Amino acid sequence: MQCKDFAAVLEQEGLDPLPLAARSHLAGCSACQNLFADFSVMVSSARKLPAEVDPPERLWVSLRAQMAAEGLIKPSAPAPAEEAAWWQGLSTLFRPRVLVSAGLGLALAVAAFLTIHKTSTYVASNSSAPQVGHVPPPAEPATTPPSAPTAVAPAPVPQVTAHVKSRSNPAAAPSRNFKPAPTADLYEGTPAGLQDPPNVVGTSVEAYASLRENLRVINEVIAECQKHLKKHPNDALAREYLASAYQQKAQLVAAILDSGRSEQ
Amino acid sequence: MVGNPADAEDLAQEAFLQLFRKIATFRGESAFSTWLHRMTVNVVLMRLRKKSLPTDSLEESLEPDSENSGPKRDVGAPDLRLSGAVDRVNLERSIEKLPPGYRTVFILHDVQGYEHNEIAEIMGCSVGNSKSQLHKARTRLRELLQEEIREQARQERHAAKTQTGPSD
Repeated sequence: MQCKDFAAVLEQEGLDPLPLAARSHLAGCSACQNLFADFSVMVSSARKLPAEVDPPERLWVSLRAQMAAEGLIKPSAPAPAEEAAWWQGLSTLFRPRVLVSAGLGLALAVAAFLTIHKTSTYVASNSSAPQVGHVPPPAEPATTPPSAPTAVAPAPVPQVTAHVKSRSNPAAAPSRNFKPAPTADLYEGTPAGLQDPPNVVGTSVEAYASLRENLRVINEVIAECQKHLKKHPNDALAREYLASAYQQKAQLVAAILDSGRSEQ
Repeated sequence: MVGNPADAEDLAQEAFLQLFRKIATFRGESAFSTWLHRMTVNVVLMRLRKKSLPTDSLEESLEPDSENSGPKRDVGAPDLRLSGAVDRVNLERSIEKLPPGYRTVFILHDVQGYEHNEIAEIMGCSVGNSKSQLHKARTRLRELLQEEIREQARQERHAAKTQTGPSD
């Protein structure tokens, strides 16, 4: 085997394994020994070089921008993310409170109805004269319809207000007492499972305070929605939130009015 | 393959852009990585051709055997042997000096570990051509490393003379 043949073997077969003939030539040729040794050193050093190098982060940023410019991908929109973040915060504020407010408002409306009904039956059973502004213990609201209830539906607001004014009882506590709102014909029957009047009346005060707090929260939500819509009038989601807030407020107001007090 | 990180980043980005533009043309006849690698190599070679750098044809046939195709020797120059492990800096510097075609095959085979059949598919050449290019790349790289060693030895001698200073 000649040196050129040995070179041809290296080219075709690589460095390892060498055929027998090539190894025999290698043993007797210093030039080929040097060549073989240098190739081996180069390859072993090259294999230690990093085969893959992670590109810097800026490459991906630049790539994304270029792809967005060519329409290969949809560009990321920071504004929706901002709005989403805003709405996330608003929805986080909004949903639990609205749900709680709605549920609480409904429960309070039922409790107020039951309280009014029970009080009316209690007063009617103890006194023949119609009393308005009945105040059992101090600082407790009282609701006293003039006669036995005959209907279920709550009285409209104007009627309730007028009725309260004309029948105001000087002896009643002025600020925190419920005025008798519904007339007797708005109720019927005696709700089953009524508690004693003082207990029921005490619960109504706390419930009313909670209603007021819920109304305050709803008003804040409405203000935020309106503020946002001033900046983004075409935001459909904001309009949806605002409409829902108004509905919740209407329910709360109705619950408050049913209990004999109006906030607005 | 291009010899500097800045060009490498640009070409990597261009390669990925080409990938997204031409993804629909992938027929699945080869591995996706092979297809992507081939696209990347083509992107690089096109850039190098634009820069008018000499590129070896990857489609050329094997050179005919010559009588003196054994290990070359510089007449009058010592037969330098690369002792021990080659310094990484010298190796990388020498790889950068390789012609693009040689550099590509050397990196694919000896650095990244591709087999010749894979390189042939990536480069669009025959297996025989891939082996020939690799052998030529190694031969040329050896010469460059020997030049590097000689240059360093020369600089060391010069530095030693400078330190001692001329004797008056």
